[in-house]
Amino acid sequence: MNLYEYEAKRIFAEGGINVPPSQRITKPEELAKIHFGYPLTLKCQVLAGGRGKAGGIKFAKDLKDGMALAKDMLKLSIKDSKTESLLVEPKMSIARELYLAVTLDRDRGCPIFIASAEGGIEIESSSNVLTEPIPHPYQPFVGRNLAQKLGLKGAVLNKVADIANKLYKIFESKDLDLAEINPLVITEGDDVVALDGKIIINDDAVDRQPQFRGWEEAHLCDLSVRERNAKMTGLNLVELDGNIGILCNGAGLTMATMDMVKAFGGQPGNFLDAGGGSDQKKTLAALELVNDNPNVDVILLNILGGITACDEVAGALVEFMKKYPERAMVVRLRGNNQDIAEKMLAQSGLKLYPDLEEAVKEAVSRAKTGSSKKPVAAGKA
Amino acid sequence: MILVDKHTKVIVQGITGKMGAAHTKRMIEYGTNIVGGVTPGKGGEKMHGAPVFDTVKQAVEATEATCSVIFVPPYLALDAGCEALDAGISLLVLITEGIPPLDTAKLVAQVKAKGAKLIGPNCPGIITPGQSLIGILPGSIFKSGPVGMVSKSGTLTYEIALALTESGLGQSTCVGTGGDPIKGVDYQECLTMFENDPATEVIVMIGEIGGNAEEEAAAFIKKSIKKPVIGFIAGQTAPPGKRMGHAGAIISGGKGTAESKLEAFKANGVRVAMTPAEVAKQVADALKQPAKA
Repeated sequence: MNLYEYEAKRIFAEGGINVPPSQRITKPEELAKIHFGYPLTLKCQVLAGGRGKAGGIKFAKDLKDGMALAKDMLKLSIKDSKTESLLVEPKMSIARELYLAVTLDRDRGCPIFIASAEGGIEIESSSNVLTEPIPHPYQPFVGRNLAQKLGLKGAVLNKVADIANKLYKIFESKDLDLAEINPLVITEGDDVVALDGKIIINDDAVDRQPQFRGWEEAHLCDLSVRERNAKMTGLNLVELDGNIGILCNGAGLTMATMDMVKAFGGQPGNFLDAGGGSDQKKTLAALELVNDNPNVDVILLNILGGITACDEVAGALVEFMKKYPERAMVVRLRGNNQDIAEKMLAQSGLKLYPDLEEAVKEAVSRAKTGSSKKPVAAGKA
Repeated sequence: MILVDKHTKVIVQGITGKMGAAHTKRMIEYGTNIVGGVTPGKGGEKMHGAPVFDTVKQAVEATEATCSVIFVPPYLALDAGCEALDAGISLLVLITEGIPPLDTAKLVAQVKAKGAKLIGPNCPGIITPGQSLIGILPGSIFKSGPVGMVSKSGTLTYEIALALTESGLGQSTCVGTGGDPIKGVDYQECLTMFENDPATEVIVMIGEIGGNAEEEAAAFIKKSIKKPVIGFIAGQTAPPGKRMGHAGAIISGGKGTAESKLEAFKANGVRVAMTPAEVAKQVADALKQPAKA
């Protein structure tokens, strides 16, 4: 879950990291009540990256200028992410900018600091980057080593080391995927301030972080409506451009099924992993999600029952076909209780394909030739 | 075979939970040497004939178990893993999905410090067909034979095992290393074990998008593995920036693509298969040819 800048800064401040004074506004008139003195910095609060380049950060020289800017900025969308509000801060006098972040390194299997003596950069494309593995349990000397490697000296070295230590503490205690300060600013008076920040909370840890409970819905704005519904029902849906709806159990098998659809000349319309051990109710919810996508001509269901019982899946299919008798379906079902499932489905007239490649080819041909029973499909295929 | 055989003494942590109990039954039916289980507060009870203990320490003292398969909820997994390590368990099989990665990182550090092995988390477990099934794999689709399998995925492993078994190609051991970005035993460790295992003649390596473990394994294969390796990658049609079910299956910053992994395979002498059926064909071909000199 990505947080807005103002939320990230609030968490930094709670953890003892210096942030600029700020106020959040949702209407241009609210600027009149802000008394930081001009010039002011106005920043769109969006969840998407690349905000500066997209015109999401502006400087106002006076109230009139600020109100005009705010009016436009509040309407701005960046990469489909709507501006939620504006964060208003006094414009700072910057002597130097750094980059500092904590994240998990999957190759090393541990958290790392990422730091750079150049701030405000795009870290992925910068060559001047330090990475420092973080030992468990954490020791504050790690922060000092990092500050020294950045070439810092004197009071600033100690201040940056202290911020690194605090940033790691926040990262660990809040279960984050990323805690990033970019830029970390050294002012002309040698203060060290987090001018911009990004926090990503680990999705698997949200339930043990009471502070973030209930935040998910407000932070899923990069998802489509159906993807969001899937997430709220505990299913993992990723929508694609094609017309073959795909429903499988297990992430690897779902991806492999998508790949085979493509390899045999079809276009996958989505990735939907119903998960291991899905029962009738969850399988039905998954079928409904795929069915809801208007681009889908045919649904390819591929279940290899390890923990998933085929009869539970068949129960969902029978119910689904009652509701949507016109829906074109290709079903491949193997594994636990397969015989019971076959009997249940024989009555509903659904043909089962035991072989995966045959099932994929059938789905592709029905999507392509428009032999799907659904009327809209013929025109599209 | 690698890691486990019919003599491996296994305990189940979380044996009285819904998942733990159901899979204990299936593992016992398969023939796995389940010697006991642990659920704090339920010591003295029995589960499918296996004695239940309050602590892993008691279970290990009473049964001399060396392996623990863990079915506890995600936020209790770090504690359960540390308890097993402290009691002297040398092989941990962690089935649980949804463990916060920082917890996994801490557990992995402890596992390394103790010189133990961790399979998982978020994995289906291990099977040495005909001998021992540790985890949630469906035993009926595996059969004993010369193919060693290592995979990040669960059901995709079953799909490929099914294709192999139906072509008459059995397996020495199959290891599901799990779909999380941070994990215990990796490809390279498994590849080395298969290379040194006399029962394994061909290795199947199943990967997916995300991270660069497949690329590193491919370079390692060229350097250190003489047995033929067949590689399969899931996620060629996955869009960038989206988490595809597994926490680790994400293309980020242009890294972790299927193309990059397939290229690494090809460049390092790994034979690439594009469908499960093709894996079986490639394995059959490899078995007919002599190993690399």
